[in-house]
This record gives sequence, C-alpha cells and structure tokens, in this order.
Amino acid sequence: MTESLMNLWHPIASAEDLPYRHIFQGQLLGRELAVWRADDDFVNVWENRCLHRGTRLSIGRSDGLELRCQYHGWRYANRSAGCTYIPAHPADAPARTICNRTFPSVERYGLIWSGEEPTGEPPEIAALENAETLLLRNIAVNAPLNLVLGHLANYRFSITGDPDNLATTSMDYQDGCSLSLTATCDGKKSTVVFFVQPVDSNRSVIRGVLSNSPEGAERLLTLRHHSAELSRLRDIVELEALDGPSLEPMVATIEQVPIALPEITTPSGRKAALRVQVLRKWATAEGVVGLELESIGEPLPTHQPGAHIDVHLPNGLVRQYSLTNAPGEGSLYRLGVKLEADSRGGSACLHETVKEGDVLAISEPRNNFPLRRDAVKTILIAGGIGVTPLLSMAQTLRNNKLDYELHYFAQTDGHLAFPEVLNELGEAVVLHLGLSPDETSQALTALLAGPQPAMHIYVCGPGPMLEATRRIASEADWPDEAIHFEYFKNTIEVDSSSSFEVSLARSALTLEVPSGKTILEVLRDNGIALMSSCEQGACGTCEVTVIEGEPEHQDVYLNDSEKLAGQRIMTCVSRAKSPRLVLDI
Amino acid sequence: MIKIYDYILSVNCYKQRLMMSILDVPFESIPIDFYPGWEHKSEEFKKINPLGHIPVIDDDGFMLRDAHAILVYLASKYDPTGLWYPTNNPELIGETAQWMLFAEGTTNTASAARLHVNLGYEFDIEACRAGAHRLFRVLEEHLWFREQENLGWVCSGEQPTIADIAIFPDVILSEEGGVARIDYPALRRWTDRVKRIPGFVPMPGIFPVGDARPISHEGEANA
Repeated sequence: MTESLMNLWHPIASAEDLPYRHIFQGQLLGRELAVWRADDDFVNVWENRCLHRGTRLSIGRSDGLELRCQYHGWRYANRSAGCTYIPAHPADAPARTICNRTFPSVERYGLIWSGEEPTGEPPEIAALENAETLLLRNIAVNAPLNLVLGHLANYRFSITGDPDNLATTSMDYQDGCSLSLTATCDGKKSTVVFFVQPVDSNRSVIRGVLSNSPEGAERLLTLRHHSAELSRLRDIVELEALDGPSLEPMVATIEQVPIALPEITTPSGRKAALRVQVLRKWATAEGVVGLELESIGEPLPTHQPGAHIDVHLPNGLVRQYSLTNAPGEGSLYRLGVKLEADSRGGSACLHETVKEGDVLAISEPRNNFPLRRDAVKTILIAGGIGVTPLLSMAQTLRNNKLDYELHYFAQTDGHLAFPEVLNELGEAVVLHLGLSPDETSQALTALLAGPQPAMHIYVCGPGPMLEATRRIASEADWPDEAIHFEYFKNTIEVDSSSSFEVSLARSALTLEVPSGKTILEVLRDNGIALMSSCEQGACGTCEVTVIEGEPEHQDVYLNDSEKLAGQRIMTCVSRAKSPRLVLDI
Repeated sequence: MIKIYDYILSVNCYKQRLMMSILDVPFESIPIDFYPGWEHKSEEFKKINPLGHIPVIDDDGFMLRDAHAILVYLASKYDPTGLWYPTNNPELIGETAQWMLFAEGTTNTASAARLHVNLGYEFDIEACRAGAHRLFRVLEEHLWFREQENLGWVCSGEQPTIADIAIFPDVILSEEGGVARIDYPALRRWTDRVKRIPGFVPMPGIFPVGDARPISHEGEANA
C-alpha cells in the first residue's frame, strides 16, 4: 500500500500555512519536508535537512529567494535548492552537485500538494471546482490513515454551524486517501471533502475543504463547529489507535549527494550540456540586448552571483556571458549582450540573428568570479557592459541585506543596461556618466582611497579600466585578495613561441609543448580532457595546479600575488619559463 | 539599574531578559551557576530566594521572585504605553491572567521536559511531554482562530502582552525536551511573530527569523 501512496499526490500544507518568509515544517510518508513560498510565489518543497550537518531547514531563514540554514549558514536557491554559498569557504563557489532534494508542488483548493514520486496531476474534485471553498482547520491525529478514513466516513455536521442541528449526510465518494460527504438540512446542502495526509505509519492530518463559504459570523461559527467535531473524532480515533497494533515508523530514504569528482569529458573541447529557449529578447540600452533563456528540459542548474555560461551560437562561435539575475530569481538565465563594434560574429549573431523562441545550446554555469558574503562592505565597480555579473552580485547583496555600493561607469543615461534593475537597487547605485579616461582614473582613485579591513572590491569592465583600477589599488596598498577582477578578454599579448615539456603527475605522462601550440591543445591532442571556456586567459576555467616548475603567466585571471606564487596556471595561454612543468592532472 | 540573578540557559530568566530588552530597560545580569553547580540551591542563594529558584530581580532594593510575577512588575513599571499589561481593560487583563496561568502549565510540562533532558532534573519525562502536547493542542487551536480574525497574539488585543512573553520561551525551546512542534503550524507561525517584535533578543537555542512583510504590502496580519 505504501508503494501506491508514494505515487499519489497528497496535500502537505494549506496555502495559509505559508505566510511571508515563513518556513513550514511538514511530513509525508515518514519524510520531513521544509516548505516555503519564495518572493516570486514559487512554493518550494524540500527535504527538511541541510546537506551539511543534517540540521532541519525549517528552523532556517528565508530572505525571499534563498533559504539559509541556521547552523552554519549554507544557502540554497529558490526553485532548484542548489547551494549558492558556504560561509566557511567565502571565496569559493560551491560545487554544482551540492543540491538539496526537491519535491513537486501544486496549489489546488487552497492546499499545497506534493508527493514522493507522484504521477499525473493532483485529484480534481468536481464539488470543489469553481466553488467558493472554505478551508477547515487541519487536525493532526496520532492514528494511521485507514483508521482515520474509516471514522470520517461516519462524520456528521451541521450546515449552519449549530451543533444541535446535525444534518443527514450521504457519502459522495471514498478512495484510499479522501472522501466526500454531503449534508442536507431544510433543503440546504453543503459538501465537505476530507483529504487525509499520511504523515507516518501512525500519524495523519485531516484536511477538510467545504464546497461553500458562509459569510460573516456564520463563517467563524462553521469553522468552530468543524474544529470541535473533528477534535472529538480525533480523540475517539486516537483511543482506538492505542488498542491497535503498534506500527513501525516509516523510513524515508535520504539520498547521498554525489561527491564532486572532475567530469570525465570527451576531448572535443567546450561542452554545451543544456538546451534553452530564448524567452524574451529586448533592447535594454544603447547597443545592448537583454536575453532571457528558459530551459526546454530539466530545470536550469543553480547559478551563483558572478557566474557565466558559454553560449554556442548558430554560426558555430562560442561566447561567454555573465548571468545578471540573482540566484533563486526565476528558473531562467538573464544575459546582457553588447554589440561590439569590431564583432567577429559573436555579439552580432545574438543581436541580429537570434530571436525569441530560438533554441540555443549553452554550458552549465561556471563561477570563476565568486562573491564573498562576509565582507563588511562590498564595492562593485562596473565599466559599461561589465555591469552584467555585478548586477547579479548587487541583487544578491541587497536580498541578503549586506552593505554594498554599485558604481556604474557609462557614457550616457541611454547606455545604462537593465535600468529597471538599477531602479530597484535604488540608492546603492552611483552613476558616473560621460567621464574621460582621466576623470575615470580620478573617480577610481577617490573610490579606492585606502584599504579598509573586510572590504571587498569587484571590478568588471573594459581592459584599460581594469588595468587602471589594478594600478590605483596597488598604489593605495589594497591587498590583492580584496580586489576581484573579471575581464571580458585577455589584454596581454600572448607569446606562444617557447617550447617546453609538461609532466602530468596523475596521468603518468610526459608531453612536449612545441612553439605555436598551447598546453590545452597538446593535452587534448593526447586524449586528456580539460574544462575550458574563453580559451584566451580571461575566465579561469582551464586552471590547473602546478606541482613543480616555473609558469610563464600570460593570463589576466590570476592576480599578481597568485602569479608570483606560481601554484596555478591557465593552460589555454600560459606557458613555462623552466624547461619542464609538473602539473596535477 | 535592575539586577537579575540569571542563568543563560534558563527559560524563566530569558523571559525577563526578553521583556527588558523589548521595553529597553537596562539591566545587570548576575550569573548563577545553575548547572552543574546547583548554586540556586545553595544556602547562600536561599537567603535571596528561600524557594531556591531563579530568576530573582533586585530593582534598587526591591526584590521580586517568580518569572511571571516579575513580568507583571516590569510591564507595570516600565511600559509607558500600558499595552503589555493592559490594566485599564478588564477583559484583556482577565485574559492576560488566564494565559499567564497557562504559561505555568507550559513551564511545568514543556520546559520541565527540557530541564530533565538538558540539565539533570528528575521528572516523569513522558508525563511532561504528554502534558505539553495537551496544552500545545489547545494553544494551536486558539491561535489558529485568532488568525481567522486577523489577530496574532495570545490575548484578544491587537498588541502582544506579557502572556505572549511568558509562553513563547516554553514553546520555542520545546524540541530540546523532545516535544516536537511539527503538528502545530499556527503555533510555529506565532513564534515567528514574537521573534519580529522590536527589541527581540535570542538565547542559545532560539534563532532569529526572516523579515516581516514590508509595510507597503499591508493587509496580511498573519505575515
């Protein structure tokens, strides 16, 4: 019987159980659930268990789009339940595999329906369709489902709420988890449908819905009448259950989170694991289009602020774009794409060819520009279209009520992308419009006047602006680890004339890198797959750990101290100063 | 300044700290080694309270014991609005007294179970838990119907009273004594509301909660 209950939809809460930012604690077939309504009205039904230490998420906090565990602050995104932030590792992006278990949810008749592996749709009850329904107070009973149903079949009630005037009732239907009774009295009719939620082998919740909703004082009278009658029924059922056989509690299987191992990929280069449809495309600023991408298959994986995706364009090109929406905001990815004057076909294709309804292949989101959420203050500095990852960060910081400013350098008002988001962010946005390079430097110098403890700076914009920021920050003694850069493209002229040897410690293989070829290419030629994205030393995806040897860095992803340490290398552009590099692959 | 003979893990002491924080009354905490020292049962402490209980307050020489009596005193003396202990409204003051007595019940069941589990007191744990569930069922129904009338508190006024402060700690820490609240959704929502009272302070085992709905979206008193 349990098997079939697993495949049914059950009511697990009522809509009124999910007020603003409340996390409801529920249970179905032995499994505890954390149920919460996000600010976009999506009802999340999750395993009530943090993936870290198993703490109940129902004692956590909702900030509207993310739920934060009370114990060590792990955050999970609305809809996907993917982990977006781990406070103990503030500088790192959580692995994509850290995703809590979710269950489907449907609202119907004022109830929230879910199930273990439900098939089809929640039941449609003719008496409740298009009716002004009234939800009765739900009654938790320490008794098994069948016993409760058996007693409910003989339930009598008064149409007016007057306990001395019980009506004759007739049963409309009964199935394994619900039944419907119609009372007739003085020519008036009232139907009550009871759904019994199997909480555990010996616990149930009676959820009653009336097919009519009395007005005024009679409404409260009716609710009190049913509450009293059902409480009486509960007392009888519970006494009977005490005499019944003692039942073992149901055991819900808890799924293990797969350990994040490096993906085994084919050596064909960049992967486009996801298919999305262009839901909306619009001009958001001078020369900038906004694109909203919606999954056409499984829900999109959780992204974190700062993340980007590869977009595989119809013309065969692959381009990287940052996601501008905050985690938990919709089950879509939002991009801002600027038409580059010297477009080699990437931005032009998205501007001119791609239209609403088109299907695109994209990679899963990667985050090489993770946002710390432990800073006392965060300064976001955007140059032009560099605002895209910073918008996601700004909205996240706003949702988390953390102190931040977004400084947006642009030519004119008309060049400001996503003005509706900027409006929402309000006073945290500081605009710097129409500044010359010198004036920009002055403004940056003022912004970066002196390093402050626990303050972090995130910068994204055109190369010269980033170089200026790097120089100004260094002159003002900002530590490298407090300033985070994201480049559109590599500004360093890559010299690939050297030749050297790479030894792969884990693969037990030594390969020759000739002049004119990159480490990444040589690895791929020899059947060793590495993740990559921009393949020009800007995004950080193809990073590998260096065990021995001296790298010749030609990327803009690592900062100066990381380059000096020589422990990591971007295999798409960087090479070796020493005759040999030993890499941890 | 008010001195309170205090223990960080005591629900009854927390009731006073919570009330004083909400009323913005400064106080000095005098820590008593309740566990494992049993200092409240020492001869020394029995000179302060012959019953061997905490909390006791000393307000400039005026000594008062018993958690719920102290709440009455604090609200009467330090709440200029008169809402927390509404003496000018006979129905409300009657209800407040009724639910303060109910709080004696939750203390002697739910919080007794917690003392048994956490702090080495010997009680009939099953009787404590069964008693707590009996009271929680009553409170659950009561609060659910309050919500139906767009009211959010234990007494029938639009503002919380000392009865909410007296019952809340027993309820919110009940899981520590093995009394689950999963069957009491209206009770859980009420604990969210108490946590959103301006001046709310937590204690170990009591956590802050997400924000209330911004004022601009009025109309949902339960939010």
